[in-house]
Amino acid sequence: MDLLNRILYDAVYHMTPILLCVLGGLFAYKAGVLNIALEGMMLAGSFISVLVAMYTQNALLIYLSSIFVCVVLGLVFAFLAVNKRGNVIIIGLAINMIIPAVAGFVLQTMGVPNLTAKWINPAMFRIDIPLIKDIPILGRLFSGHPLGTYISFFMIFVAAVLLYKTKFGIYTRVVGERPLAAKSLGIRSNLYATLAILIGALLCAVAGLNLSYERLGIYTNGMTAGRGFIAIAAIYCGKGEPVKSSLYAFIFGIARALAINLSIRAGGVAALFDIIPYLLMIIILAINSGFQIRNYRMRTYW
Amino acid sequence: MRKRTILSVLSLLLVLVMALTACNGGSEATTAPVPDVTEAPVAETDEPEAETDETEAEAEQPGSDTRIAVICSAAGQNDSGYNKAIVEKVNALAAEKGFHAQIVEPTSGVPNAIETMAEDGYNLIFSMEYDFEALVNGVGGAKPLAEQYPDTTFVVFNDNPNLTEDGEVKHANVISVLFNINEPSYLAGYLYGHMNEEMDTLFGDTYKFVSTDTARAAGFIGGTNSAGIVVTSYAFIQGLNDAAEELDVEYEFYQKLDAGFSDSAEGSTVAGTFYDQNANIVFAVAGTVGDGVTSKAKEVGRLAIQVDADLDDQQPGHVLTSVLKLTDVPGETIVNAYLDGTIDELDRLQTFGVASGATDITDMSVISEFIEDEAAWTALREKTDAKKQAIIDGTLEIIDAQAGDTFEAADYPNVNVN
Repeated sequence: MDLLNRILYDAVYHMTPILLCVLGGLFAYKAGVLNIALEGMMLAGSFISVLVAMYTQNALLIYLSSIFVCVVLGLVFAFLAVNKRGNVIIIGLAINMIIPAVAGFVLQTMGVPNLTAKWINPAMFRIDIPLIKDIPILGRLFSGHPLGTYISFFMIFVAAVLLYKTKFGIYTRVVGERPLAAKSLGIRSNLYATLAILIGALLCAVAGLNLSYERLGIYTNGMTAGRGFIAIAAIYCGKGEPVKSSLYAFIFGIARALAINLSIRAGGVAALFDIIPYLLMIIILAINSGFQIRNYRMRTYW
Repeated sequence: MRKRTILSVLSLLLVLVMALTACNGGSEATTAPVPDVTEAPVAETDEPEAETDETEAEAEQPGSDTRIAVICSAAGQNDSGYNKAIVEKVNALAAEKGFHAQIVEPTSGVPNAIETMAEDGYNLIFSMEYDFEALVNGVGGAKPLAEQYPDTTFVVFNDNPNLTEDGEVKHANVISVLFNINEPSYLAGYLYGHMNEEMDTLFGDTYKFVSTDTARAAGFIGGTNSAGIVVTSYAFIQGLNDAAEELDVEYEFYQKLDAGFSDSAEGSTVAGTFYDQNANIVFAVAGTVGDGVTSKAKEVGRLAIQVDADLDDQQPGHVLTSVLKLTDVPGETIVNAYLDGTIDELDRLQTFGVASGATDITDMSVISEFIEDEAAWTALREKTDAKKQAIIDGTLEIIDAQAGDTFEAADYPNVNVN
């Protein structure tokens, strides 16, 4: 029971940054500009939050500053990718590479190997929700997490509503699916694509905050460790649908938690759990595209 | 119009490149402040022709014309201490003794950096990265760099790759430096074993230690399953076992050896599982993953042990001690030997342990401030110091995975390794 609780809690721990990136990234995905820069934006969020936290204990300021920086990055990405029609892969790659470099430079200038906001004790950000925390399994899933985690849960519904029930969502999807149709209707496609990217940047900031500031109180360079790319994979697997994609993020979290918690009992073999999500993704993507090809099959060479 | 834009961009690039090259020359002088007299030759020795003159002159004035390079590992010169210690020591010696020092953070691989520096006529090159193939054996059909540059002395760390199949020294100009990091690891394990019995009296109420009535446990997180990592865990177990034997108690020992070196969030969650398994301490030998561990120790109100540099101050009160690996000690020894001209007499395998002060545990001044029972603390430290003395005297043998010792669980009956 203890083990199960522990696994569930860790699953949510590891899921949160990925989930936030997924929810942020899927708007851009739906708008037809894949945001490769999730990783870099998240890292920027992590970096700025701890950097600011070293000088102030004002949580609002910490949140705002890292959101601000990420939104600026989002604007840069949007300007280059949407307005200037640049190649999103290259622009995203540039952002992903420039952030750790800039952070590394700042660390070097400060003469420290990593940033530590010593006043932070991660225990103080944990919010216990009354009633829910006493329910056996749900308690560990939905209670005792920092603010960012609750935001991520909440955002699943917000994203679903925003994407399917509002004019903004419909326009964004049209811009992605039928750009010319959107244009013929007078929809300002650039505006919607930009907004979609900015939503992603904003949520990446929260993801970064959650990863470094709320969970650890430290920043180590490259601490996102590929989570942004996992998020992109999750978006693809879920085809950009909020609930489905979130489920993939959760699978990643569970697999990570299993790998960590079972290593005590299973030893080195537990590292195999780390491959579960990737394996699952390959299988699902293969089956998916298999079906698609069957549906699209025409009289042609394939 | 278009042509002109391209031209102007190109010329701008050219200017930038030139400016940067100029900067590079300038920074050489700044990293290694050398006395006025030698400044001029230093600035010009970038030209290969100057090389020969330089080596000739060396015999007369070993200090002034000697050029020493430190090629940092991936962590860079501003890391927590591994590179930083030797970089600072070499720079300080350069200022004091008037040789030229160059610190390199390789951007296109360690072998390239080694080759460039050797080609440039550097006399002594420290390579901090765990990357010796090109140097000792040669890659891609090329001759080993050590053979290509016989006049340069190379120093590598943390392994002894410079051996032929028969165990003979392969290249006379390569020195391997090993650290007996097992010795301080033993001390850390021994200290914890005794300390754990009296956690509540030693520390205040803010901590949340598991009482020894419930369980006794310790955790270990390693970046990867290699001799360089398990050398610390084996010795830690030996130390813990010795303490447990003296007290006639038993310990559970949990470990994860594939935590990697960069994902601090993973370190935090792994440590969380160990703390949940009643461990009062987690020993992390996994780079920045360890920073996540200390953060977790603070969150749950327990302790962690760090490694390589003095990181006690990272989360004050929650890092018991750091197992130190001080690169400045071998750096100083070898630089001095080079300047004295005795470098060829040095053994090609240099081992540094607690006796030389190159490995040790910290003085624990940070954690001392959180101790409430001074008398018990002093007694504990005396016990540990006695063990340290025994190691220095050679009466206490510590298991050494780097020297090929294998771990036999039966030898440590009081620690149950999971």
